[in-house]
Amino acid sequence: MRLADESRNSWVILLIRWIVGGAFIVAGVLKIFDPAQFSTSIGNYRVLPHELNNLVAITLPWVEVIAGLALVGGLWPRSAAFVITGMTTLFAVLILSALARGLNITCGCFGTVGGTNVGLQNLAIDSTLLVMAGFLSWRLKG
Amino acid sequence: MRRTLQRAVLIVLAGFALGLAANAVSPRGIPWITPPKKVMEAKDTIPLPEAQALWEAGDGFFLDARRPEDFAAGHIAGAFNLPAHSFDAHFQEVAPMLSPDAKIVVYCDGVECELSHQLAGSLREQGFTDVRVLINGWTEWRRAGLATLTEGAQ
Repeated sequence: MRLADESRNSWVILLIRWIVGGAFIVAGVLKIFDPAQFSTSIGNYRVLPHELNNLVAITLPWVEVIAGLALVGGLWPRSAAFVITGMTTLFAVLILSALARGLNITCGCFGTVGGTNVGLQNLAIDSTLLVMAGFLSWRLKG
Repeated sequence: MRRTLQRAVLIVLAGFALGLAANAVSPRGIPWITPPKKVMEAKDTIPLPEAQALWEAGDGFFLDARRPEDFAAGHIAGAFNLPAHSFDAHFQEVAPMLSPDAKIVVYCDGVECELSHQLAGSLREQGFTDVRVLINGWTEWRRAGLATLTEGAQ
């Protein structure tokens, strides 16, 4: 019985790893295609000093892709889950602050896909990933 | 735990390094430091009284840069909706009504709103020469008690 439970758990964990990792790979790749656009999206949040927008636009998508690949591929998966938990937490704060300030901006989360204004839908997707990544950070070994 | 955290830092650094490397070789690469924003010049904006005069004379072409939902909920009377976020998809709907030297007034809502500026930029790229932003347009227009419309009527 115990064995069956463990193997079911491992399947669930594998599935969650693929979902979260896959989402981050997609999100990263979409942004890599158009760094200038992503820089504008970051700037719209009015959080960073203007000069830093480009540097974040250049690097952040690659951190997403590497963390996503590590999680999917099983290389240092717990560390990757940590990174993704941290990023989704940060994104949640940014989305909430944009909503609180009533900013009329796009999310930028998945490039320009779903070019609607940042809103509760973005927050829901991000929170779901956050919960999943948090779960993995807790359950994975390594 | 300590090793897990160290590896997490390594993942971040690897992404950082790869990003910089990819940016260096990519044709879409951008400078590390964001170039200063183009300062908005006074001639690119229009004060409310002037916009009102244009509107009353029927000389101006008013374009609402917000989302269709926002437009439907209320807009400047006679304005057309050209959402800045989906310019390419909607431009053809209004293009036939515009001549290159049409007096175009674009607006969205909120002093910080970027949509009108984006739309103005897109229109200038299309060759329109007289495009001006009515800053905080929707709010200012209503506050002044000028004519508005909701859903349906143009």
